[in-house]
Amino acid sequence: MSDTATAKHLTRAWTVNDPLVSVSDLKVWFPVASGVLQRTVGHVHAVDGLDLDIMAGETVGLVGESGCGKSTLGRTVIRLIEPTAGTIRFRGEDISHIRGGHLRGLRREMAMIFQDPYASLDPRQTVGDIIGEPIDVHGLAKGKERQERIRELLRVVGMNPRFADRYPHEFSGGQRQRIGIARALAVEPTFIVCDEPISALDVSIQAQIINLLENLQSKFKLTYLFIAHDLSVVKHISNRIAVMYLGKIMEVAPAAQLYRRPRHPYTGSLLSAIPIPDPKVELRRERVLLQGDVASPVNPPSGCRFRTRCPRAREHCAEEVPPLESYGDEHKAACFYPLD
Amino acid sequence: MIGPSRVAELDMPAAGIETGTARPAQSYWNESWERLRANRIGIAAGILILIFAVIAVMAPLFSLILTHYQPQTINLDQTFMKPGSTHLLGSDELGRDTLTRLIWGARVSLGVAFLTVAMSLTLGTTVGMVAGYYGGWIDDVLMRLVDTVLAIPAIFLFILMSILFRPNAFTLAAIVASVGWGSVARLVRGEVLSVKQRDFILATRSIGARDTRLMLRHLLPNVLPVLIVAASLGVGQIILIEAALDFLGLGIQPPTPSWGNMLTNAQSYFFRSGFLVALPGIAIFVTVLASNMFGNAIRDAFDPRLKS
Amino acid sequence: MTQPLLEVQDLHTVFSTKEGTVKAVDGVSFELHSGETLGIVGESGCGKSVTAMSIMRLQRPGRIVGGKVMFKGQDLTRISEYEMREIRGREIAMIFQDPMTSLNPVYRVGWQVSEPTRLHNGWDARKALSSAVNMLGRVGIPSASARARDYPHQFSGGMRQRAMIAMGLTTTPQVLIADEPTTALDVTIQAQILDLLRDVNREFGTATILITHNLGVVAGMCQRLIVMYAGKVVEAGPTADVFANPKHPYTWSLLRSIPRLDAERHEPLKPIEGLPPNLVDLPSGCAFHPRCVFRVERCARDVPALIQVGGTQRAACWVTQAGTELKGV
Repeated sequence: MSDTATAKHLTRAWTVNDPLVSVSDLKVWFPVASGVLQRTVGHVHAVDGLDLDIMAGETVGLVGESGCGKSTLGRTVIRLIEPTAGTIRFRGEDISHIRGGHLRGLRREMAMIFQDPYASLDPRQTVGDIIGEPIDVHGLAKGKERQERIRELLRVVGMNPRFADRYPHEFSGGQRQRIGIARALAVEPTFIVCDEPISALDVSIQAQIINLLENLQSKFKLTYLFIAHDLSVVKHISNRIAVMYLGKIMEVAPAAQLYRRPRHPYTGSLLSAIPIPDPKVELRRERVLLQGDVASPVNPPSGCRFRTRCPRAREHCAEEVPPLESYGDEHKAACFYPLD
Repeated sequence: MIGPSRVAELDMPAAGIETGTARPAQSYWNESWERLRANRIGIAAGILILIFAVIAVMAPLFSLILTHYQPQTINLDQTFMKPGSTHLLGSDELGRDTLTRLIWGARVSLGVAFLTVAMSLTLGTTVGMVAGYYGGWIDDVLMRLVDTVLAIPAIFLFILMSILFRPNAFTLAAIVASVGWGSVARLVRGEVLSVKQRDFILATRSIGARDTRLMLRHLLPNVLPVLIVAASLGVGQIILIEAALDFLGLGIQPPTPSWGNMLTNAQSYFFRSGFLVALPGIAIFVTVLASNMFGNAIRDAFDPRLKS
Repeated sequence: MTQPLLEVQDLHTVFSTKEGTVKAVDGVSFELHSGETLGIVGESGCGKSVTAMSIMRLQRPGRIVGGKVMFKGQDLTRISEYEMREIRGREIAMIFQDPMTSLNPVYRVGWQVSEPTRLHNGWDARKALSSAVNMLGRVGIPSASARARDYPHQFSGGMRQRAMIAMGLTTTPQVLIADEPTTALDVTIQAQILDLLRDVNREFGTATILITHNLGVVAGMCQRLIVMYAGKVVEAGPTADVFANPKHPYTWSLLRSIPRLDAERHEPLKPIEGLPPNLVDLPSGCAFHPRCVFRVERCARDVPALIQVGGTQRAACWVTQAGTELKGV
């Protein structure tokens, strides 16, 4: 089934074979203010014309370097940031601009797990209140039932239910992240955006959280958008991976295939830049070092955004924006001169 | 799935918590209270303020049983008396009992101070919170208003107001608060802007919470420490302002006694009776010093990162 | 074996906290030979950074309470602050994790990069600046003479880290200590910086201590490594041997717990259970024993010493010292 067809056939009822989340031509621009009068002098093109489908039950990994717009995309998809243009569909319904009670209803379907387990929990609340807040907001349970629900959620994320009346500062990063996951699960969502959920954790704790997320996914039939900068983690947890650069998707492919046969030069250099914890492998690896830094998202380069750092760039790349082209098997890349 | 073994593994709180003796779960407020309790000077200052406040509230009772004088009772036979058995702290040019007047004056000084703090805090917090939380044009409008308020030369406002209204404790507090809330609004807005950046605000939005919940349940508790600090440090300042206004004749008018107008009155008789000047002066000095010390203790307790 | 360039012997550094004394570095010993790159690996709080800081005598408010740091025949823990200043930046240079805050925002980059040579070599501003510009060029900053006039905020993260490395190299030090030099950087920039560090090591022969939590970085950069846990060295040896056949359960489990980009199939990760240790209240015996799948009764009782296990490695573990092979389940 073609992905683009589903997005357009709105009149047809949504079925489980359609994408759970479908983003088309999404743009999120932030004004850049300058001077005494704070006049808008330009825009950060954080997300700049982006298409992505996420099927129910899968994990889509989203990788890219800082400033590529991956967090902005994640937050816009669950409507924490207002899209500038384009549409976001959830179960076929256009949710790009819904508000009020309608939006609150959507909040029961979607949740988010944050990067920084220290900043994402209110220090003045007890663990029980943090996890209980979504239950209160949506009136899901009261009194004894609420308490039982909180304890159950703590058990589900592998923590002692007794911890409900403790405060976040009493816990380590990994434990706090479990609390954040319990909060996300409290509304019984179907779709969770995981925004770098392990990058702030100690190495020995990261695997615990990855396994927990995987277990929860199979237990509660969750769909994940997993945002990270670490390709090895993303490759481990994702069914498909989307590679972002300066607000656009450069390549999207099933995880194994993206690693085995990257088409976009950016993916290629990203893969070669990830160190592998094995000296024998490292010794034999050939690196494609990229020159320079990421260009400014305020004035992205013409044509292909990656061309300023691309070892394969030619004149044509500056003139035209390469479209996402199919390489079979759900593999797409946006490059005029792809790797073979 | 997560088996019981996993739960057992994590059945311990984090590093640094249960070291040695098992401590109960501590809220931020408990911890602050513990820190405050450990500060002896601060606690002493706080108790002093509390005593003054109790005295002020119960002034009529003190008149009745301790001094046996009313603050405005004139006795021309007993003018300029030195402290002694008739008048514990002496009397003034009209034979009024100084201690009684000091006690009733405390009512004015502390009453105005607490009232002013309460008023500026309420208004300032509301404005600062709304401005900081909503941002955009709402922020612009409210903050320009704050700039305007802060640009008004306070002394002229006080003169104008005291001409328009006959100042009593309530109007005086309202007048001082009408300028004072501006700086509170700025403080709260700044704090809200920084708390707003933290992910837990986004997390709360992501679960579908309304604005009021965000402001009351999450922003307010997190800006409360700076408010408490501002309030406790503000009391001393306002006592000084109020005394100055009274002294200039812009505040509480005689014959109602206040520490400020007692000073004004006493300056004409400085050489006849030094006590008349010294006693209200000492009252102001001690109260302001105590409230500043208590304020500092509060700050150290509630905001340990401010302490170097 | 030749005389080591730098030798840390039984170093102890402690911090006093409200909850008690923290032994951040608890009897650490290692050698650094000229020209080599040594990795120090461990999680946050394991003492790897404090070890580096103690070598530079920058460990304040921590206190060095025991051990020696031998460098060119003198013990750096005993020399005067004046003598130490002569060594810092001149013979032993250090670069830090956060390139955003390690440059002073109010001075031009060129001025800061030339500071060590003005300070240590007594060069005049012009000579120092021209050598700084030269060095900035060598670490890969394009149009270096123009960029030297920039302020730090005009540099990207990667460029600042290059500038920091250039600053460290201007005095041609014999030892470069890099404390998580790429942790704050994006992967493609990390690859650039690691490449630069490799070049520096090759070209200048600078012996490098690379402190990192990233096992992948160590695998590609270091000939030897030491693994730290709770202030102690738990394993040391040639990188290839440690990775191929770890002799400490911590190293062993850590290697199994991290996802590898080149993994063939999707296999569930095997995490290390439990929590990182509480430094104020360390477990008895081996600090890793509560999380260790191989633990035996003795581990909770006695602290194992770091001794030779197998041909080239040393490990502080009762289990492997008794000859048991670490094998997975």
